[in-house]
Amino acid sequence: MIENEFYEDEFEQLLKEKADQFSMYPSKRVWHSIYNNLHPSRRWPSVVMCLLLIGSLMLIGYLNTSKNSITKQINDNAAGQASYEKNNEPTGSQLTIQKTLLTTFSRRTQKPTYTYGNAFEDVIPGEAELYTYTVVKSNRPAPYTTAEITDIKLTPDVAAADNNTNQNIIQAVDTYIKSNQIFADVAVYTKKGKSNTAKSTDKNTSVDVLTEGGNVGDISSITKSGITQTSTSKPLDNTYETGISNPAESPAKKSVIVKTTSDKTGLTSEEKAWIENYALQNKAAAKKWKGHLGYQVYVTPAVNYRKLTTNSKGSATPFANGDINNSISQKPGFGFETGVGLNYTVAKRIQLKAGLQFNYTNYNIAADETNHPISTTILLNDPSTGYSYSAARTSTTSNSFNTTALQPITLHNKTYQISLPVGFAYRLSSQNNVDWYAGATVQPSYIFDGKAHIISSDLKSYVSDRSSISPWNLNLGFETYMNFKLGSYNLQVGPQVRYQVNSTYKKDIALIEKPYAVGLKFGLTKGF
Amino acid sequence: MLSGCLRNNATAQEALYNRFSPRMLGVCYRFAKNREDAEDMLQEGFIKVFSQMHQYRNEGALEGWIRRIIVHTCINVLKKNKKFSDSVDITNAHSIHIREEMIPSIMQAKQVVECIRSLPLGYKTVLNLYAIEGYSHKEIAFMLDIEESTSRSQYTRAKSMLEEILIRKKIIQKPKKKTNFLGAV
Repeated sequence: MIENEFYEDEFEQLLKEKADQFSMYPSKRVWHSIYNNLHPSRRWPSVVMCLLLIGSLMLIGYLNTSKNSITKQINDNAAGQASYEKNNEPTGSQLTIQKTLLTTFSRRTQKPTYTYGNAFEDVIPGEAELYTYTVVKSNRPAPYTTAEITDIKLTPDVAAADNNTNQNIIQAVDTYIKSNQIFADVAVYTKKGKSNTAKSTDKNTSVDVLTEGGNVGDISSITKSGITQTSTSKPLDNTYETGISNPAESPAKKSVIVKTTSDKTGLTSEEKAWIENYALQNKAAAKKWKGHLGYQVYVTPAVNYRKLTTNSKGSATPFANGDINNSISQKPGFGFETGVGLNYTVAKRIQLKAGLQFNYTNYNIAADETNHPISTTILLNDPSTGYSYSAARTSTTSNSFNTTALQPITLHNKTYQISLPVGFAYRLSSQNNVDWYAGATVQPSYIFDGKAHIISSDLKSYVSDRSSISPWNLNLGFETYMNFKLGSYNLQVGPQVRYQVNSTYKKDIALIEKPYAVGLKFGLTKGF
Repeated sequence: MLSGCLRNNATAQEALYNRFSPRMLGVCYRFAKNREDAEDMLQEGFIKVFSQMHQYRNEGALEGWIRRIIVHTCINVLKKNKKFSDSVDITNAHSIHIREEMIPSIMQAKQVVECIRSLPLGYKTVLNLYAIEGYSHKEIAFMLDIEESTSRSQYTRAKSMLEEILIRKKIIQKPKKKTNFLGAV
C-alpha cells in the first residue's frame, strides 16, 4: 500500500514535472490578434497605408484612362478638318498663329473669370504642321455650361448685323449640340493657316485673347484688340477670326466653322457632321496635367550594408563591451528595389515624385550549423525599466567567429518591404538632351516578411526570430542621376543610397540594426 | 513591465506576452484538440490577462496568476464548444483504443504531453486539472459542472490509461515490487 501511494505520488510528480517543462512558441498571429483587440485605434497605420495604395492606384488608373493624346486628336481630326476647309477655302491673306491653342471656359462666377490651358504647347512642341488656332467652348453640364455660350454679347464696335448673325450662329450650334446630347467641348472656331509666319506670337496669344477680353461676351474685343501681338506678330484683325461668319468684315475673316443659312437656326448637314465629329473627338482631358506629369518604372540593384549597435543596459554580457561588430563575421549582401512612380513638374527645375516601391534587403552573416538545437538566450529590454534581461531561446547555428568552422553556412538577414516613396528631384544642369538631377525621397515602409538572425547574449549563437522584425519603418533615399531624353522616353541612370532610419528589430531587442543600400538606379520615364 | 501593462502600454504588454506565452501555450495545448485551438485559447486568455491586470495584487507569482486565467479560459472554451458532451463515459472507458500513431516520440516532455493529449477529452481534462494544475476534485467538479465522484473516477481511469500508454511507449517502466518505476525516466 505504501508502495502504491509512493508510486502514485511519483507518477503525478512525473506528469507535473514533464508537463511544466513543455512549452511552445505561438505564431505571430496570436499576438497580432491580441494587440488589435487591446489597441483597436492603433490600426490606423495600416488603414492609412491601404488608403494611400488605393489612392495611388486610382490616380494611375485615372490618368491612364484619360490619356487622350491631343496629338492623336488632331491627327484624328485632320481628315475632318481638311474636308471642311477644302469646302471653305479661306480667301485673302491669313495670319497664322504659331501653335494650336486649346481654350476652355471656366464655370461662371459672379464676376466671370476664365481659365485656359495651352495644353498643346508642351505636347507637340515644334510641330510645324499644326498651325491651328482653336477656340473651344464646352457644353458639359458642369463645370462648363452652355449658358456661357448664350451669354455672349458683342461690343458696340461690331456691326449690329454681325451681332445678330454671330449670336444666331452660336445659339444654333448650342441648340444642335444640346438636341444631339453631345456633351463635349465644341470648337467654335478653328483654322489651319500658313506655317511660316508669326512664329513669335507664341503662347501669349492665347492668354492675352481671353484675359484682356475679360468677359465671355466680349467677342468683339477679341476680334478687335484681344490678341496682344508680340513683336513679330501682325495686327490682330488680320490674324484672328471669331469663327463666326462676318460678311461685313474683310475676306480674311471668312474662315468659319458654321455657316449661316437663311434658316436662322439651321445648319447644313456637312456642318452638322463636322461639328459632331469634332465634338466627339475633342473631349476635354486633364490637360493641365499634360506635359507636367510623367510615370516612371525603375529598378536599383544595390549592395546592402548595415550598422549594428547594441542597446543593452545593466547587463553584464559582452554586449556591454566594445563594438559588437568586432565579435561577429558579417559581409554585405545584394539586394534591390523596384517600383513605379509619378513625376510632376512643379517648376522649371523641380519635380515632385511619388510612387509604390518594393525593397529587398539582404545581409550575410557567417555562421556554423550545429548538430542539434542548443539552448541559449537573447538579450531583451524591459520597456518599463529600460534594463536588459535574458530570454531563453534555442539555436541551431553558432557564431563562426568564436568557434572552429565545422559546418559553415551563411545566414541571410533579409527583409521584404513595400514603400511609398515621396520626394522631389532638382535639375542641377541641362545640356542638349541630357539633364543632371539630384533628389531625395522619404519612404514609409511596411516590412511584410523577412528573416532575422540575432546574436545571442553570449555572442556564441544566432537565434532565428522572424517576430523580432518591426513591421513599420522609414527609409530615406538620396540619388543623383543623368536624364537622357530618348524621343518620348527619358532614361535615368545614377547612383542611389537608401538608409533605414529605424532599427530593423523591435524596441525590446537589445540590438539596433540599421541597414543601408548603395546602388545604381535605372529608370524609364514617359510623359502622359 | 507590470506598470506598463496597467497603463495599457503595448510594448510592455508584448514583453509580458513574450515572456509567458510559450509556457502558457504549452498549458493550452494539453487541453486543446490541436495547435490552432490552443492558440485561440491562448489569445483569449491573454486578452483576459491584460484586461484584468488591475486585479493582480502582487500576492503571488505573476505566472501562477496568469496560468489560472489561462486554465479557466481553456475550460470555458471547451465548455462553450460542448466538447464534454462527447467525452467518454467512465463505464465505456475500457473499450477505448489508443492508437500508436497518436503518440509521437520526439522529446521526453513532449512525449508525456502528447500521451496526455491522446486521452479522451474528459479524462485528459480532469487529469490536467488535478495532477498538473493542482485543482481539487471539488474545484474540478465545479469548473466542469460534473459530480465530484465523477471527477475522481475519471481521474483514476485517466491515470491508469496514461500509465499504460507510457509503458507501451517505453517512456516509463512497469513498476516491479519494491522498485521505483521511474528508474528509466
